[in-house]
Amino acid sequence: MGRKVLVVDDDPDVRSFVVTVLEENQYTPLMACDGVEGLEMIQKEMPDLVILDVLMPRGSGIRLYRHLKTDDILKAIPVIMFTGIALRSFLKSQKVLEEFKGEKVPEPDIYLEKPVEPQELVDAIRKKIS
Amino acid sequence: MSANKILIVDDEQAIVRLLSMSLKSDGYETCTAFSGEEALDVLKKQSPDIVVTDIKMPGMDGLALLKKIKELYPEKEVIIVTGHGDIDSTITALQYGASDFINKPVRDEALAIALDRAKTKITIRQQLASYTQDLEDKVAEVTKEIRRKSNFQRLLIHSSHDAIVAFDQDWQIVVYNPEAARIFDKKAGEVLGKMTIDDLYTPELAQYFRKEAKNKANDRDMPWQEMAMETREKKQIPVRYATNVLHEKNEFMGIVNFFQDLTEIKRLEKELIQSERMAAIGQTVSGLAHYVKNILIGLKGGSYVVDVGLQNNDMEKLNTGWQTIKKNITRVGDLTQDMLTYSKERKPEPELCYPNEIVEEVVDLVTDFANGHNIDIVKSCDPEMGEMYLDTRTVHRALLNLVNNAIEACLEEETESRQFTVKIKTGKADDGSAVFEVSDNGCGMDAETKGKLFTPMFSSKGGKGTGLGLLVTKKLVAEHNGTIDIETSLGYGSVFTMKLPEKPGTARDVNDKKEV
Repeated sequence: MGRKVLVVDDDPDVRSFVVTVLEENQYTPLMACDGVEGLEMIQKEMPDLVILDVLMPRGSGIRLYRHLKTDDILKAIPVIMFTGIALRSFLKSQKVLEEFKGEKVPEPDIYLEKPVEPQELVDAIRKKIS
Repeated sequence: MSANKILIVDDEQAIVRLLSMSLKSDGYETCTAFSGEEALDVLKKQSPDIVVTDIKMPGMDGLALLKKIKELYPEKEVIIVTGHGDIDSTITALQYGASDFINKPVRDEALAIALDRAKTKITIRQQLASYTQDLEDKVAEVTKEIRRKSNFQRLLIHSSHDAIVAFDQDWQIVVYNPEAARIFDKKAGEVLGKMTIDDLYTPELAQYFRKEAKNKANDRDMPWQEMAMETREKKQIPVRYATNVLHEKNEFMGIVNFFQDLTEIKRLEKELIQSERMAAIGQTVSGLAHYVKNILIGLKGGSYVVDVGLQNNDMEKLNTGWQTIKKNITRVGDLTQDMLTYSKERKPEPELCYPNEIVEEVVDLVTDFANGHNIDIVKSCDPEMGEMYLDTRTVHRALLNLVNNAIEACLEEETESRQFTVKIKTGKADDGSAVFEVSDNGCGMDAETKGKLFTPMFSSKGGKGTGLGLLVTKKLVAEHNGTIDIETSLGYGSVFTMKLPEKPGTARDVNDKKEV
């Protein structure tokens, strides 16, 4: 089997779509439906890449992303933000959080705005892991 | 200034000298003349205060001299010296304005008394003159002040941004400033002193103010009010106006009207409403676009999964994808339904139903989803509710919306240790209305969010809400003549209480009749 890719999204439709794309391209899909579950899964499975939604219940994607990027071990895992939120709004929220918390977190490796064509998603994944 | 200089006039030089000496020893200053003509000359040159003159003299006699003096110097006092018993001349002298007379031979005491009187007269005259002067000065000063004040008030009225129109007790227009001229489109010259209230105002308005003046006889002020005033030229002007009824010592003096032209303000208000509406439409469109985009994401994803299923002959995939597509078709349907419900008027159709059964139905619909997300659904139905006349669609729809919102509020809250619960409670209010209470211990709301809850297309759920849910709920409840109350606390949860009166159709009929 291929490399492990975790999709964290509260929308089952999005999960089944991403999982199908991953399977079709010989990756091993993993799923989590909120931020808390996502972190547990990451710590347990150490995926090669995380596809992360932004707006989710129970530990939003923003929180999970910041957690990953400030953890010495986990920050090496590439993250694709995969969301309906416009990049501009996302970066703005990051800036507010940075000022508030006083810690700077690198911008996401790849930011995809839903909806995306399966090929776009595959290209994005390939850019990070082959 | 005391009168101290005395002119003595007599043709007998001895008498003149004698008197002069006597008066000098009394402290007076004297001058002398031996004829009337000479006396006038001395008067001119030396200006004595008092003249003592013999009445009988050759040439100009004492009476002629007296007459002349009073003509030329009315302020001088003249004492006439007469022969004994010459009553006629004495009377004439007094008529001519002599201050006194003494008989010959002149005795010192009589002269002293006459001089004293003359001096007193002069003093009084001088005081009088000075008082008169003072009085005139004061009057001039006060007049000036009054003119200044009246000018100030005139300017004040003139320059006022309010239109001011005042009527006297006969309803004649006595004050009419430029702003009034602008509003009523009549020049001050045509109006002031020429028109009455009936010429300036429409008959209705004139009648109104006449009546107000009578009604408010004891109450001077009428508060500011607004009206759409019509001028006699049929021009409609929105105004704010106030009226004062003027009284003096309980007597009606007239009234004064103040008008503020609100045309500009009304225009700005209209513009503001318009721009708010535009903003609301913008919000609506962007909220809807967001929601539609989410449906699109689902449909696209689903059709991809279906494609993969078909290609690989994978029934499971096919099924997953198909479910996604169907779910999103339902979402489109719901959205359309919401939009229609929101935009269309609908009369509730009350029917006999068991409200608690509707609660059961709603709970059945959400339980699986809620339990899957560790949220307990607890219902506490009052069996007393029994059967009621309610619009079942309204109850079902509104309740489902509220319960879904409560579940989502629990999903939003990030406190992990909390056991989330959504409670649905039913009961009857004192007035017989059905009460449905939906409470959760989810994220709650801050005051700002609560304030925006019922604005169109406001969604606190990111892209997951249409922004129509609560709006539709509120509309349904309002059509049912019901109410929704919200209690909420950020981070601790919310309580939505929906109250629906029985048989809303009946209440509506009453309203309809009232309108007819």
